[in-house]
Amino acid sequence: MPATVDVHDDIFAPDVIKDPYAYFGALRAAQPVRWNEQYRMWVVTSYERLVWTARHPEYFSSEVALRDNQPPAPGIPEEDMELFGAVRQWLAARFTQNDGAKHKEKRKVVHGFFTPKAMETWRPLVRQTVNDLLDELQGAGRWDVMHDFATPLTYSIIAGLMDIPESDRGFVKELSGRMCGFDGNDPNRIRDYAAGVQAVTDYLAPIVAERVREPGDDLLSVICKGEIMGAYTRDEVLANALLLLVAGHETTNDLIANGVLAFAENAGQFDLLRSDPDAHVVNAVEEALRYDSPLKSVQRVATQDVDMGDGQRVSKDDRVRWVIASANRDPAVFENPDELDITRNPNPHVSFGSGVHHCLGATLARLEGQEAFAELARRYGGFELETDAGALEYLPSIGQRTLLNLPIATR
Amino acid sequence: MARQLKITVDYNVCVGNAMCETFAQNTFGLNEDRQSYVKDAAGDPEETIIEAAENCPVTAITVEDAETGEMLFP
Repeated sequence: MPATVDVHDDIFAPDVIKDPYAYFGALRAAQPVRWNEQYRMWVVTSYERLVWTARHPEYFSSEVALRDNQPPAPGIPEEDMELFGAVRQWLAARFTQNDGAKHKEKRKVVHGFFTPKAMETWRPLVRQTVNDLLDELQGAGRWDVMHDFATPLTYSIIAGLMDIPESDRGFVKELSGRMCGFDGNDPNRIRDYAAGVQAVTDYLAPIVAERVREPGDDLLSVICKGEIMGAYTRDEVLANALLLLVAGHETTNDLIANGVLAFAENAGQFDLLRSDPDAHVVNAVEEALRYDSPLKSVQRVATQDVDMGDGQRVSKDDRVRWVIASANRDPAVFENPDELDITRNPNPHVSFGSGVHHCLGATLARLEGQEAFAELARRYGGFELETDAGALEYLPSIGQRTLLNLPIATR
Repeated sequence: MARQLKITVDYNVCVGNAMCETFAQNTFGLNEDRQSYVKDAAGDPEETIIEAAENCPVTAITVEDAETGEMLFP
């Protein structure tokens, strides 16, 4: 066994939430595959081990909701355990929570909507929405990136793609907000989450019933066609609709907010983007994804005992969590990994994961990121934080890298 | 006689999503790094191979006419 490494196990500690790069970087340097006793899971932090793990789904199952039989950590009240079981069953109905041939069949239903070519057809809508939102902010001088731009943009786009009736959008945004942004330490998080899921499901159920009868070309109809072709049950249609509604905006808004923060702190890189937005924006978005990824880590469950090298042996049913935030800063792969460099190319970051579960919505995230950053670069000379960088607050989550607010002044 | 295709996978880009294999299983496979490789450029009909390339989420696959060099995808 390798020597014990002097790094604490408290992944929810305020310093880890604030700066995951220092903590997970120290882990990566000391022990890239490490058992975390406090949360009873393996933590994978090197790029090479992460990619290997992500590309061996036969050893590391995505049926996490059903297979992870350990009690929730941090703990929840005993009386919420039954509800926790129901939430696990509900989560298991997502197409992402499948392995092998079943996963392929269920992913294929929605995959065609997100191919690079298919996604290009939505570029005019995204461009228009970006411009409309920035027109409204014109002259404001000070605004909150998260609340005034990133969230309205990404929500509006996913609601448009799913053809949620215009008149319902404010209401659905409020409802879907109840499924996002949970404090991973809050003991009441399961009941709050379950209530949010129920509210959105109640809203969507009649619309889904209608689109199963008469599907259109929108994304919600594409999901409904999964039921028509026999790939999804009705519960799976609803679970996947909620998944895409929420995942469709709560990660891309992080890309935009984290990217603006990175540009506020690296004005020279924003100047470079401004010098020729069309030429630089594609690589700039990839670098924003790498530098401060919306997803910090992803969990799997071992299907069998696995030798991870360096004497580390994962046992069947162990939790395994791979850390994107660390792999993306691995000096073995990225030169000057802690520097923002929008000309970095190739940039093989793992912000969308890797392997058969590579993010379905990657093309949409890229499209929205490209249109948002290019237009910001056309309109503004730069951004100043309206608060001390040290005072910025992040969601206490091990998975998401989410700013609660990002107040800025524009130049 | 179907025309011969030249199919190329960009290994700097391929993330091993395996959609190519899902759509054209006689043409594409996964190598030991779990990235795509062409096991038989004539394994499936041309339109199936183009469909597989289109479904690559990162556009890692190019398809050309082997004889004329005409780009068929992207």
